[in-house]
Amino acid sequence: MKCGLEIHQRLDTGKLFCRCSSTLADTERSPEYKLKRRLRASAGEMGELDIAARMEQEKEKEFHYDGFFESCCLVEADEEPPLDMDAEALRIVLGIAQQLHMDVCDELHVMRKIVVDGSNTSGFQRTCLVATGGYLETSKGKVRISTVAVEEESSGIVAEEAHIKHYRLDRLGIPLIELATEPDILDAEHCKETAEKIGLILRATGKVARGIGTIRQDVNVSTERGARVEIKGAQDLRTIPLYVQNEVKRQEELLRVIGEVGKRIGDKEIKPKVVDLTKTFAKTECGLIKKGLEAQTGKPGTNMGKAEGLHGLTGGHVLGIRLEGHEGLIGRELVPGRRYGTELSDYAKSAGVKGIIHSDEDFAKYKISDAEKEAVRKALGVKKGDAFAMVVAHKTTAERALHRVLERANMRRVPEETRKANQDGTSSFMRPLAGRARMYPETDLQTIEITDKLLGEAKAAAGGGLEEKEKKLGGILNPEMAGRMLRSRNLQLFEELVEAGAEPMLAAGTLEQTLVELRREGLELARPREQLMELFAEYGKGLFVKAAIPEILRGMCGGKKVREAAKGMERISGAELGKLIKEKKDFGAIMREYRLRVDAGELKKAMEGK
Amino acid sequence: MEKLKRARITSRGRVHEGIMLPSPKKEFLVLKLDSGYNIGIRKEGAKVEELGEVKVETGGEKKMETKKGRGDIAIIGTGGTVSSKVEYKTGAVFPSTTPEDLAKNIPGLDKVCTFHAREVFAILSEDMTPAHWSVAAAEIKKEIDAGAKGVVVLHGTDTMHYTSAAFSFMLQDSPVPIYLVGSQRSSDRPSTDARINMLNACFAAANGPMANVGICMHAGMDDDACVIHLGTKARKMHTSRRDAFKSVNVPPLAKVDYRSSLIEPYMKYKERGGKLKFDNRVNENVAMVYTYPGIHPEFVDKLSSYEGIVIVGTGIGHVPTNPFGDKLAKRITPNLKALVDSGIPVAFASQCIFGRINMDMYAAGRMLQEAGVFGHLADWTPECAYAKMCWVLGHEKRVDKVKGEMMRNIAGEIAERSEVL
Repeated sequence: MKCGLEIHQRLDTGKLFCRCSSTLADTERSPEYKLKRRLRASAGEMGELDIAARMEQEKEKEFHYDGFFESCCLVEADEEPPLDMDAEALRIVLGIAQQLHMDVCDELHVMRKIVVDGSNTSGFQRTCLVATGGYLETSKGKVRISTVAVEEESSGIVAEEAHIKHYRLDRLGIPLIELATEPDILDAEHCKETAEKIGLILRATGKVARGIGTIRQDVNVSTERGARVEIKGAQDLRTIPLYVQNEVKRQEELLRVIGEVGKRIGDKEIKPKVVDLTKTFAKTECGLIKKGLEAQTGKPGTNMGKAEGLHGLTGGHVLGIRLEGHEGLIGRELVPGRRYGTELSDYAKSAGVKGIIHSDEDFAKYKISDAEKEAVRKALGVKKGDAFAMVVAHKTTAERALHRVLERANMRRVPEETRKANQDGTSSFMRPLAGRARMYPETDLQTIEITDKLLGEAKAAAGGGLEEKEKKLGGILNPEMAGRMLRSRNLQLFEELVEAGAEPMLAAGTLEQTLVELRREGLELARPREQLMELFAEYGKGLFVKAAIPEILRGMCGGKKVREAAKGMERISGAELGKLIKEKKDFGAIMREYRLRVDAGELKKAMEGK
Repeated sequence: MEKLKRARITSRGRVHEGIMLPSPKKEFLVLKLDSGYNIGIRKEGAKVEELGEVKVETGGEKKMETKKGRGDIAIIGTGGTVSSKVEYKTGAVFPSTTPEDLAKNIPGLDKVCTFHAREVFAILSEDMTPAHWSVAAAEIKKEIDAGAKGVVVLHGTDTMHYTSAAFSFMLQDSPVPIYLVGSQRSSDRPSTDARINMLNACFAAANGPMANVGICMHAGMDDDACVIHLGTKARKMHTSRRDAFKSVNVPPLAKVDYRSSLIEPYMKYKERGGKLKFDNRVNENVAMVYTYPGIHPEFVDKLSSYEGIVIVGTGIGHVPTNPFGDKLAKRITPNLKALVDSGIPVAFASQCIFGRINMDMYAAGRMLQEAGVFGHLADWTPECAYAKMCWVLGHEKRVDKVKGEMMRNIAGEIAERSEVL
């Protein structure tokens, strides 16, 4: 097994090629404008039309975009050429590249990576290789970093209908640093360690975005007899080992299936006829088929006339093919919950259908009768040892889907693919692994010359990196808290609070313990940065004591301002405390009653002074 | 097919391997790595080891089979973004694809109409001259004479509205529609607007009842319907948006959506049929000049070598006239009068773009009229007035006649009514 990682991390700057804010609009906010678009793939610089791009295009989708005035301008709408690359984003990436001992390119060329799934209004993602050939130290040796690039974030998908994909434009164009390792990762645990370390280095710059979705790890897995596969979208580091294990297993099992097919029919390509089975199911009880036959009378929301080349939209069809020598193999489980049939089905889906029905399934479940099954077998010419697959859709779509199934079945190797990480640790086919044909130059932008001056500035701005950060935290926090803070998502906020004058241990404790406990109770600060700044500023002025902080935060989670939340918990100090000492006389008694209002240190001093 | 060299470049201890591409800057070598990324490497101190040749297809996408012979629609290429391609030497976009390639590369075009295509020029529209209008008009005439049911002209967007105005005068009463099509996003990108603009233009040219000269471009930011603007009333009003073209002072001629077979006229149009009145003679010696605060009267004098002038003045019909004798202000009316008196026709158009000229309303307008400058009650765009002047002067020199021709509505350039839009 060989495994490499590709990490995408959003940078905490404005957008990469326009001057919009990278702050996303509230998810509940309704869009301020909408756009409807269509895309078609164009050839890359080398004249090739990338297979991944072509596959998406064949789905003939329409794309709808939700726009927001503050975070999207004409650049996101693909109505204006890109502006210069954001200088701060470039500086951050140059800084990180130098920390990873990389060779920075002399001149940067922004490229267009064709992506016609609608996630980019332009039909391409702007990406720019910045540096090559670095490394990272890990407990199991060096992991080489092959490339660091800076690129645009895509639009976020909102919903998908049969022929329309809905996206939001606010995320489009946020800068991402993309960092790819060589396949030097030895095992699942090592993969986790490497991902974690890269995450730490990125966060140590203090210039990367925080929160869910701001970092994405893609795993590149290659096995000796299998193929290179890229698994996209693993959100949680802890699941990475599972994806690697499952991918290795999937490839091993696939090779077994392929071996079995080879034994039965040799290397020959299977070329069955696509047979129209619609009549066979004229009176079917199968809900899925019935619905499919009725529903396919047009594309919702569009008015695709014959000019689009979409003939045969007058009704749904059931089409089927014989899969020679595949009996029992389609139902073969590759990894838990995923069969060989699921792989075939994923390919069919890329043609725009919901899935396939195949002969290794339990037809009773579909309410397909034995008579119907028999009629299908006969119509398709299915013999012993064969399997078959069916699809319900528009005729052209269904034909295309079955051709996809055949294409996949005829591969007889583990195909190079980009796969989507599923929640359960498995993955699904997304598209063939994109090749270099996907890239051509962004002609709207000039190349960027990297000078020594620029590199020097970037290095200075990036600071000392991870080691220096470790040292710094070690100096202001106890060892346990320092280690915890280094790995914390709150690191940047912690540093800001300390810079503003908060006591380090108190700030760390509040972030890592108090707020975590409150969260367990379902309480959360709406604007943590501002609210904590306010809290520690008032604490610094002596408005309340440490012990009152959890209670005050509780109030603040409910929307109260600090002073309001601290009502009745104001610190008793100085002359007032003197009065209290006179009255109560006993340290323990005072602390028991006024724990949230009296600072134990001050009380002790005051009593000793007496 | 083109042959490129594969190379290994060593520079400052770094080794990169890939395909050498032409570099936009001479201090750098450009290498396309196997990952697809391009990088620039400083030439100074770089060692280049050639690793043999690679053949690459540069012809774009797989060609569709084209039907030989003539189709209903004649597609004529003149260049522009609509037929552009990446130019690797400079990294810029240049017109280089023939309309034939483009037509082949527009999936679905053959389902909208039958067509044949040829290229007349391959230039950027900012390089167009009145002489080009003349040549292109003659080519269009040939197509009409040969029986085309419609003509679609691929054109850069920058000066498309000048050309459409010129065609409106040169190809009067055309029996078939003549639509100019451009694009604001080049054809080499997936999001190009060229495809939808072309499909809609060809669909309307083949099936619509109208036979006007028009510009067919996106109606809005959506890849949806297009609008056809009347050739004499259109203007490019945005540097980059797909819907850059607007109709000025009139509604668009029609809305078109080939997907739903929609052709919805918004105004009175010329029906198909009738006899073409062709006259492509132009005079290229016409100037168009903006007036502006502080314009020097001597600047106006310098225009005396031209045979016709369009003054693009301010407001409803004004230029600096200084009627109250202000110390700092200068008037240019005497200088304009001198030009007119020397036999040069001077027309007025407004920088406002929208609205009708009225030179009776204020003193400045009256002074302009007294100086012999015409344009009173015209609602033309500056560009249309200029194209018209070039055309009128192509076959008429007498100032009075020129003025008469200019003020006569020939192709919808002067609307009778100012509609509420």
